[in-house]
Amino acid sequence: MIERRRFLTSATAAAAVLAAPPLIRRANAQSVLDIAAVYSLSGTFANVGSALNDGSKWAVEAYGSAGGNKLNYVLLDDRGDAGEAVRKVQEVMTQHGIKHVVGCTNSAIGLAVQKEVHARGGIYVNEAGADEITGKDCNRSSFRWPVACYSAVNSTVRPLIDKFPQAKRWYTITGQYVFGDSLLSNCKQVFQEKGIQHVGNSYHSLSDREYSGYIATALSAAPDVLAVCNFGNQTVDVIRQAVSYGMKRNTKILAVWSTGLDQYQALGPENCDGVYFGCNFWHGVDSPGGRRVAEIVKQKTGDVPNYLHACGYAVAQVLIEGINKAGSTDVPKIIGALEGLSYEGPTGTETVRPQDHQVLKDYYLMLGKAKGAMKDKNDFADVVAATKAFLPPDKTGCTMG
Amino acid sequence: MAGRFPNVATLLVVAALVVMPFVMHTTLATQIVIFATGTLSVTLLLGAVGLLSFGQGLFLGLGAYTCAILLRDHQAGPLTGLVVAMLAGAALALALGALIVRRRGVYFVMLTLAFAQMGYFAMLAFKGVTGGENGLTGLPRTFRVLGLPIESPLSFYVLTTVAFLIVFLLVQRLTASPLGSVLAAIRENEGRSEALGYPVVRYKLAAFTAAGAIAGLAGGLHAVFLGFVPPSDIELEMSQRLLIMAIIGGVGSPAGAFAGSVFYTLVSEALSEIWARWLALIALLLIAIVLFLPGGLWSIGRLVAGRWGGRAGHG
Amino acid sequence: MSTQLLLFQVLNGLGIGMIYFLLSVGLTLIFGLMRFVNFAHGAFYLAAAYIAYAISLAFGSIWWALLIGPLAIAALALVIERLLLRHTYAMPHEAQILITFAVALLFQEIVILIFDPLAKSVPVPASLSGIVFLGPYVYPAYRLAVVAAAAVIAVVLWLVVERTKFGAMLRAGSENAEMVGLLGINVDRVFMAAFALGGALAGLAGVLAAPLRGAEPFMSTEALGIAFVVVVVGGLGTLTGALVGGLLIGLVQSIMSTLWPEAAQLMIYAAMALVLLVRPAGLFGRF
Repeated sequence: MIERRRFLTSATAAAAVLAAPPLIRRANAQSVLDIAAVYSLSGTFANVGSALNDGSKWAVEAYGSAGGNKLNYVLLDDRGDAGEAVRKVQEVMTQHGIKHVVGCTNSAIGLAVQKEVHARGGIYVNEAGADEITGKDCNRSSFRWPVACYSAVNSTVRPLIDKFPQAKRWYTITGQYVFGDSLLSNCKQVFQEKGIQHVGNSYHSLSDREYSGYIATALSAAPDVLAVCNFGNQTVDVIRQAVSYGMKRNTKILAVWSTGLDQYQALGPENCDGVYFGCNFWHGVDSPGGRRVAEIVKQKTGDVPNYLHACGYAVAQVLIEGINKAGSTDVPKIIGALEGLSYEGPTGTETVRPQDHQVLKDYYLMLGKAKGAMKDKNDFADVVAATKAFLPPDKTGCTMG
Repeated sequence: MAGRFPNVATLLVVAALVVMPFVMHTTLATQIVIFATGTLSVTLLLGAVGLLSFGQGLFLGLGAYTCAILLRDHQAGPLTGLVVAMLAGAALALALGALIVRRRGVYFVMLTLAFAQMGYFAMLAFKGVTGGENGLTGLPRTFRVLGLPIESPLSFYVLTTVAFLIVFLLVQRLTASPLGSVLAAIRENEGRSEALGYPVVRYKLAAFTAAGAIAGLAGGLHAVFLGFVPPSDIELEMSQRLLIMAIIGGVGSPAGAFAGSVFYTLVSEALSEIWARWLALIALLLIAIVLFLPGGLWSIGRLVAGRWGGRAGHG
Repeated sequence: MSTQLLLFQVLNGLGIGMIYFLLSVGLTLIFGLMRFVNFAHGAFYLAAAYIAYAISLAFGSIWWALLIGPLAIAALALVIERLLLRHTYAMPHEAQILITFAVALLFQEIVILIFDPLAKSVPVPASLSGIVFLGPYVYPAYRLAVVAAAAVIAVVLWLVVERTKFGAMLRAGSENAEMVGLLGINVDRVFMAAFALGGALAGLAGVLAAPLRGAEPFMSTEALGIAFVVVVVGGLGTLTGALVGGLLIGLVQSIMSTLWPEAAQLMIYAAMALVLLVRPAGLFGRF
């Protein structure tokens, strides 16, 4: 168990308050296990970070203890700065002996923290979207809950092709960054395999807000389907502008990666209606694990859980389930216990794949519906398909270095 | 700005550097010193020659990526990495400076901002080299410098502090020298300096290049310290952060860069968990300082010292 | 690229360009009279977009925001001018840049505080929600309306600049700032009016753009960057410059997004750097 460190005695009270408020706890708390969570409470992604933080914190609260230890949630606020995230992880791991880490607000933070935790002998469960997390940058210490790009594409593009075999002409609009490129290359593989004609692709940059040029190009190619390969607010903006150009009339729109409820709210039913979305979590899917998340979130917010709540919850849950199974806080034992473990997660029964530490879970293809068809204010879309499609372990590029 | 060297400010900064790792987390102290180095480049430009730069993050980012690539792919030691990061910052600053230091006033400011934006887009465009939005990971985590192991947080702090002190003393020395007086004359009245026969553009270019080198060094230190280059190192936000630190600390003295970094880092650290919108308070403080305390926080010390000692202290 | 596609992109680029013109014209006006670059211009645009959002929530459409948005931003600009900027006129130009930069930061944080950091969608007015066929091209009706509104504003501003006393001051000011004072004009009042008018224009741009781009707290930086590029390319302080600069940048962005999409954004800044190197004062600038 982590002993109380001497640093407090050598520090002035003021500096201690500045530097480490979450670490101050009762002196007699012998069997307390610290779980550090890395999230951005301010900065560009503060909205994402704080919802994820809520989810993880609520999971830790709900479980209360793991492996016979009382759990203590230690928030490491990186202020949206990946450098700060690495620094704080370094700090708690070297100075306070914390070994159990969850959470990241974006992929850059996830990839960097993953390396740091591994180098210092800890365990890390995260919700980064980048393929590298369980691909070429994977390591023994790290686990990832959401699906990789391969799964997102194969669980959305493939069912859509099967559903509309006559829709042969696909156009893609892609974020010119690592994540977008990865979605695109996976799309191309599916297109090739299925005999789809890829009539064009437009790249936009991470800072683009104005897409009418790209949409105009897409329109002139007269595609049957427009696949949007990007993330975050940019997905919302591209869909909104494509709809405003009347693209819904002759073309199906698919956002390969979406965050579900919060993005549907941002788009509004008038834009969501008839648009296809891929997403990692949907509150309308009934499962024992999902009901548990819904109860906790209902109690805290009075509303249904969104993707971010579920993500934050899931990464803490995976770690805690591992500790419980191992019956120990020893990192190698938890890693061993997690490999192959099945548990009731937010999307149903989920399994940790031993080869690359990817959680195998459903990814949904959703179809947005009209305002009149919504049964309640959150009923924006129906699940069209729920698929577990994962790259075979020998193809991920993961060597557990 | 011209004054004695070394002076009271030198002693105060050295004392603070010695005390810092004992009163706060070592990694936090390291972070402060790295940002103080970056801020020094803004302070040098604005304080010594009157050039307001919204783009020092560009040179910091370049230094970080250069150093990281050398360390990761070419097995360079940290000293080599840092020196090359400095040279890279200086070279880019020289090239861009040759194009933009002639432009006065707002044009210079807008151009620094534009080039900083271009740097960010270039980072995204060359994602094969920089890792794009994922950042550049996989740097070695332990080093040897002059036979000494650099592994513990404290050893990283010492390395960073030595680098900062060298630059800090050089900048102090520079501003106290006759050259510093010429730069100050350019700041006060560019037209008159030109009329007096000073090659104003050349002096400004020299200052811009030196500032680029300093920012490049800060970036290199950041990469070595984190074992990783966050893409935010080359974002406009980094340039803005360095500028805010410089203004809050005060550009009248190199020590202001240090004061600004200490203040900004500690305040944001303390406030972020309490109130996510802490940046609003920083913005208010920035307004207050521009209107009421143009010398920044460091000048408070100087005012007090001046009253106490019966004469104006030298920053 | 086919001629058909090129024409399409040109048309589209001109549309984007008119929106960029609207965004930048307030900035250039303020510079022309007051000789400083308003770093809070993007923040005015941001605040107006959120006003449009709030009004669309309350009334179901943004029509009222077209009136309330610019007026509210003008009032806000007046307050900022009286409270803060007034004290900086005697200071070096850095002071004004820093104050307006701080105001922009403050706006961003206040917006997040009042609303939240999530992007908001602002509905297009129902009567303009369709699409229009321009020959073989499809164009959203609302976007066309915005282009038309921007064109009307351009004409009105041109008349103001060429035919009114205020316009004469503006022209005098952009020729020679000291002359305005020598003419016996109340500089204080002109500055107030210019800053309020510049704010109102940014406000109008924000309201009009809200249904196209939604409202989100970090849109001010992007808007400011674009407005900078436009006024620097066109020449600071000139109306023609803002119009030509806006259209040019809109075209560059639209055409590059087909030819070399990775660099569409990069090219905007490259175009600005190029213009500055060749014509330091911008295409239509005089200083």
